[in-house]
Amino acid sequence: MAAREKLNLLKERFGNAIQRADIPAEDRLFVFVDPQSVREICRHVFRHLDARYVISIGADDRPHSGDFLVAHHFAFDEDHLLSSILTRIPADEPAFDSITDEVPAANWAEREIRDLYGLEPRGHRYLKRLVLPDGWPDGVHPLRKDVPFDHVPEGFDPDREFKFDEAPEGCTVVPFGPFHPTLDEPAHFRLYVEGEMVRGCEYRGFMVHRGIEKLAESVLTYNDIPMAAERICGICGCVHNVAYAQSVEGAAALRIPPRAEYIRTIMLELERLHSHLLWVGLACHIVGFDTMFMQAFRIREPVMWIAEKISGNRKTYALCVIGGVRWEITDDLRAELRQVLDQLEKEWRPVVAAVQKDRNLKARTRGVGVADRHLVKDAALLGPVARAAGVDIDARRDHPYAAYDRVEFDVITADGADVWSRVIVRALEVFESIRIIRQCLDRMEPGPLSLDIQDELPVGRMGMSSVEAPRGESHHFVITGENNRPRRWRVRAPTYQNLQGVPAMIKDQQLADMTISLGSIDPCFSCTDRMETIDIRSGAKRVWSQEELKQLARGTRA
Amino acid sequence: MSLTSKLQEVLVCLRAGRVTLPYPAQSAPLPPRFRGRPIFDASKCIGCGGCASNCPAREILVYDVCQEIRILKYLGRRCTYCGRCADVCPEKAITMSHEFETATGTIGDIQQRLDLFMSTCQRCGRCFTEPSKLEELKLKGYRYDDLENERWIFRSQAYLEGQPVVDDIEIELD
Repeated sequence: MAAREKLNLLKERFGNAIQRADIPAEDRLFVFVDPQSVREICRHVFRHLDARYVISIGADDRPHSGDFLVAHHFAFDEDHLLSSILTRIPADEPAFDSITDEVPAANWAEREIRDLYGLEPRGHRYLKRLVLPDGWPDGVHPLRKDVPFDHVPEGFDPDREFKFDEAPEGCTVVPFGPFHPTLDEPAHFRLYVEGEMVRGCEYRGFMVHRGIEKLAESVLTYNDIPMAAERICGICGCVHNVAYAQSVEGAAALRIPPRAEYIRTIMLELERLHSHLLWVGLACHIVGFDTMFMQAFRIREPVMWIAEKISGNRKTYALCVIGGVRWEITDDLRAELRQVLDQLEKEWRPVVAAVQKDRNLKARTRGVGVADRHLVKDAALLGPVARAAGVDIDARRDHPYAAYDRVEFDVITADGADVWSRVIVRALEVFESIRIIRQCLDRMEPGPLSLDIQDELPVGRMGMSSVEAPRGESHHFVITGENNRPRRWRVRAPTYQNLQGVPAMIKDQQLADMTISLGSIDPCFSCTDRMETIDIRSGAKRVWSQEELKQLARGTRA
Repeated sequence: MSLTSKLQEVLVCLRAGRVTLPYPAQSAPLPPRFRGRPIFDASKCIGCGGCASNCPAREILVYDVCQEIRILKYLGRRCTYCGRCADVCPEKAITMSHEFETATGTIGDIQQRLDLFMSTCQRCGRCFTEPSKLEELKLKGYRYDDLENERWIFRSQAYLEGQPVVDDIEIELD
């Protein structure tokens, strides 16, 4: 049993620093450790036991134990184990030892804990605001339990500026986004450019942070949250829906009926199909190959229609409730789904064959946006980005959920580590998804769709779940709570980690390759409202404030 | 060879032909399970409020004007058409319609207001609702009638934690 084995390794080495451990299932490990030695333990787990960093999570447990919680999640992919290293942080001394020096990928997560809980990461070298808006007053931390969900803090200052770093010597600043023709969602990159070469960048995002976790912890109930979770992402919503349900089911030790597991698997793979087809289309669009963009979308459309027939909506399937699924796949739908898959396979094959040999596309994407093994490890990059660098990880195989332990499929990898490899990985994963759905259709037995849950869910239990979204592993963590709702629900979408790898991916590249490099992680992100104008003649720079922009737009400005 | 790949791509496009639908003049047929705007049927609704308690977007409000009249209002603003209300409705009074072109300048076009006359108890004259599915669960086997005292019991709170099982029953006297 891998969980027991890893726990013994930690105990042998760290002895009394391991305070308490919980192994609720053979693939889950929760370890409470001494806050003094957490940095040392995380370093050991990350570097010596070679675990993959997943996410760091803060939680306000003061109403129950008087402490804050900080958890660092690591995945042992080969041992099929998800582990959480937890520390209790006393409320009167809200600070914790940063692990970012040891685990670079923890950079954002620790800044987020600082923003939302007011816990200071000791030893973090880049303590800039990450999630909260620029005008948000200091000292108000929205995820603390004593802050109401609809709290409007006093002293919000819309004119407060975000302090960007100084550009390096000899570099010009090129603002990229928040609104850019090739970005489907807004994000702001401040690129440092030397001639045509990008030398670095600073990212500012999170401006459409919607506080969905706070909402879930204070307003919604267990079965409301799946419908809200689905709206985290416009492409991989079902992933969040399933991951949330699974983490609650894991915490409450509920085993859902097998038919529901198969249906979840089928819907997740349908989602991967439409997402990958969409991405290949968008990638072609970004590099100026609009014909294939149109064709990819055409081929994708029947997938949307069959999803609509099964669930009642093209995209938001509203699939899960705690304990099962809502939509039955009848025999008629099964037959129709098979036809859709046959047609899709027939049409996708020539596209892949053509794209694989397309010299223009290759010239535009080979050696671009390189993220090699080391970057993948240090920034904890995920999904097709990791697999394109030859890192063989896939939550469907490594941390099997739903019915993935009962189907056969190959994990597609490539070794170019560049955008081209990511195109190929995604194009080929389409065939694996088709294969998985066909096996599910063959193997699903008649049975109930959902558990009949009679009792209230147990309180204070922890659960986590990793689901392989089209763009990487999506990780959810839940602490169950009172009043029919969780105490804490944390969503780590794959882009959260992948975006942290972008600055390294675009460094020392042509400015023109920025868009496809960014596009190649298949990002989902948020926006900021700022415009910078530079007078070409004098070189004078001015930043327009939100208020000035409003006046400008309404024509009230002289 | 790049030229053959270009030819293959041309073939993909030619085979596809024209696929664009003449929407909005003609739209693709909607599947039976399609979840459009929810429609509330006042003649079936018993006013249990189960839809309101289970709406993830909190879009359904219940307001008791007086003993006999309960207002149920569907706000239609941020409704996501998830269909949970239709799922939990014990009387199947809510259908997820096939209406999806719901953009409007007047929010009243989408909103629905049900003024429900609630049944009244023939003895006490106060209105009662049938228990919702959720309440049935929470009542844990308690019936409304108190046989020993031959009295009508309006509501049991026995599901609340820390309360005695026997003495917590709100009793409506004859």
